[in-house]
Amino acid sequence: MAKRLTLLFFVVLFLIIGLVPIAAMFLKTIYVDGHFTLRLYRALFDSSREWGLVGNSVMLAFFVTAAALSAGIPLGVVLSKTDLPFKSIFTFLFTIPLLLPPYITAIAWSYWVKKEIWFFGLPGCVLILSISFLPIVMFLTMAYLKSVNPGIEEAGKLLSGWFGVLKNITIPAIMPGILLSAVLVFLLTLGEFSVPNFLRYKVFSNESFTQFSAFYDFNAATVSTMPLLLIAFVILLFEAIFLHRKTQESYGMTPDSDRFLVIELKSSKKWIVILLSLASFILIVLPFAALVREALNLGILREALEKAGDSLLRSISYAGIGASILTVIGFFLGYLIYKKALPGWRGVDMLTLFFLALPSAVTGIGLIGFWNRPATNFIYGTPAIIILGYVACYTVLTSRMTISGLSQISSSIEEAAEISGIKWWRRVFGVLVPLMKRGLLASWLIAYIFCLRDVGVTMAVYPPAHDTLPIRIFTLMANASGSLIAGLCLIMILSTLLPFSLFMLSVPKKGMA
Amino acid sequence: MNAAEFKSVGKSYHGKEVLIDFSLAVEKGERIVLLGPSGCGKTTVLRLLAGFIAPTSGVISITGEIVAKDGRNFKEPEDRGLGMVFQDLALWPHMTAKENIEFGLKAKKIPDKERQERIRNIFGLLQIEDKINTKPSLLSGGQKQRVALARSLVLLPKILLMDEPLSSLDFELSFKLRAEILNLQKNFGFALLYVTHDLEEAFSIATKIVLMKNGRIDQIGSCGKMKQYFENIKTR
Repeated sequence: MAKRLTLLFFVVLFLIIGLVPIAAMFLKTIYVDGHFTLRLYRALFDSSREWGLVGNSVMLAFFVTAAALSAGIPLGVVLSKTDLPFKSIFTFLFTIPLLLPPYITAIAWSYWVKKEIWFFGLPGCVLILSISFLPIVMFLTMAYLKSVNPGIEEAGKLLSGWFGVLKNITIPAIMPGILLSAVLVFLLTLGEFSVPNFLRYKVFSNESFTQFSAFYDFNAATVSTMPLLLIAFVILLFEAIFLHRKTQESYGMTPDSDRFLVIELKSSKKWIVILLSLASFILIVLPFAALVREALNLGILREALEKAGDSLLRSISYAGIGASILTVIGFFLGYLIYKKALPGWRGVDMLTLFFLALPSAVTGIGLIGFWNRPATNFIYGTPAIIILGYVACYTVLTSRMTISGLSQISSSIEEAAEISGIKWWRRVFGVLVPLMKRGLLASWLIAYIFCLRDVGVTMAVYPPAHDTLPIRIFTLMANASGSLIAGLCLIMILSTLLPFSLFMLSVPKKGMA
Repeated sequence: MNAAEFKSVGKSYHGKEVLIDFSLAVEKGERIVLLGPSGCGKTTVLRLLAGFIAPTSGVISITGEIVAKDGRNFKEPEDRGLGMVFQDLALWPHMTAKENIEFGLKAKKIPDKERQERIRNIFGLLQIEDKINTKPSLLSGGQKQRVALARSLVLLPKILLMDEPLSSLDFELSFKLRAEILNLQKNFGFALLYVTHDLEEAFSIATKIVLMKNGRIDQIGSCGKMKQYFENIKTR
């Protein structure tokens, strides 16, 4: 009973934070002055300009997904399945852009390529967002590769070389993971507005923000989010029906295999090291080095620190609080999904993913519309609204990490406690949490980094004088000097990478569960 | 010339010896069963011969050619001309039964006409013609076994390695499949290296039994000799 009530509480909490505001927002657009009407939508569908922007958004998302897959899959294979030296260094370097708001990568590149014409518009957006989202493909490829039953690869090795085995057996076996990463990259690109804004490429996600921030027209802003929401919904429906089922099938996956086949690169090893060194140097090191060079001046850094001021402390504290709440909610929802403990568990799983994929403008506008009333001003007018935004957007990260942690604990561990008469709460805190503590710490860190780098939802909901550092940089970008922006970006990078590096150094290679 | 030979082969993982001074000759057409408790090194012998791991010491040869020696494999698994049926069968879940079988034939660049002919024959021989386009997840335990066998045999291996292939089946089906394996071995003429911990299964398959204990050969001999050995243990 305690188990069901607790899980139900967290489901209801998540629905109130995430789903109810969005549903209420859309009801308002079809019930105007107490009457049902589609007037606002008709205006949207009649506008050719809007559809042109949707086309731009879809084209950008398509190119970014294609580029991230083309580079991310081979990278994931090389970094997890081969005997390449310096794998952890390469993994760290390629992960950096994911840890930062994508526009900071764009700023870093702008210091490197200066005012090159090609960098602005679609090519620059594709380049920056591909670099930013490539780690998603890389990590999902690596994670799924670890779960492939080595037996099916050995069976292939009796018949073919590694290239044939990878092409015909391993990659098809991890296809659900690859498709999931493609879905995520596509949807995150679709909702991204900061990079297209910086690089002057018109996309639809900017439209909602313009309607909202420039005209403060809630209904128009809500209606303008509809095309992106529909695309996100259709793609996630595809994920839920097709990919989810595939992932559930055995598909050669084994959760606790103690064997992992490693590809010996032999003579090609040095060439791959050279290739990856060049790629990471050109794509990551040089642009960020250019940014650091621009910022490395004591006067500039002092000014940047002054400008960043309390927004840096706010960023860190909001991210810390958000990550802690996310870890708790994600743990219980992850438990619910993994153990299928309540009917509708799949719906909860889908919904958490849906909110990550939902353009942040949609979530932000929904939250403001719902909480902006006198009775709830204690939420709307305080940082609580930012935390709610984080919870709505990022619960999927912590719930999926919990699922991953739970899958590494034999179900008999909890059953043994259960049969010994230990109540659920004690089983959770006495058995599961201690076994998963490293995984939960990793879950907190990931949530912290995503809250810290958030621009989209914070931009929409932050109350006056509660802006975070990424928002402050974003708003100063138009008027401040290049060096000052570089200084602010450097502070942002350090506040993200320091805890991440400390965590990576403190956690042994094994035992991340 | 022997189909395969192990000469003083040793294998250790992180300093722990799992196979010690293992010597065995597998003659053409012979059916050798490796018998013993879990962790005694039976599967390691198969994996060494397949080329998935390299011996820490000793020499392994196939039809007279040295394929591995003292920590190094000289021949990749795909070039050793062996077939293997895994304990969990390791059918490729994203491929149909036919695709599972065809993959190896394509890798060996067998012409299309001959490929189709071989697939038809092997499906007929194993009586799974109606499952040709079915994916493994939709096959029964026995049908999966047959597809795994067909996948190994369609390439006409010199030696077939079987790692407790019947362990997950009920007795009746296991009994039936043993008879089929013996028939297939007679038809194809391959040497069989078969791993099990089931005494009764071992005697029904083997022409020679190798009893293993703690990574070493404890006893080796014909079925008759080994029956006598076990009788002696019982009466002791």
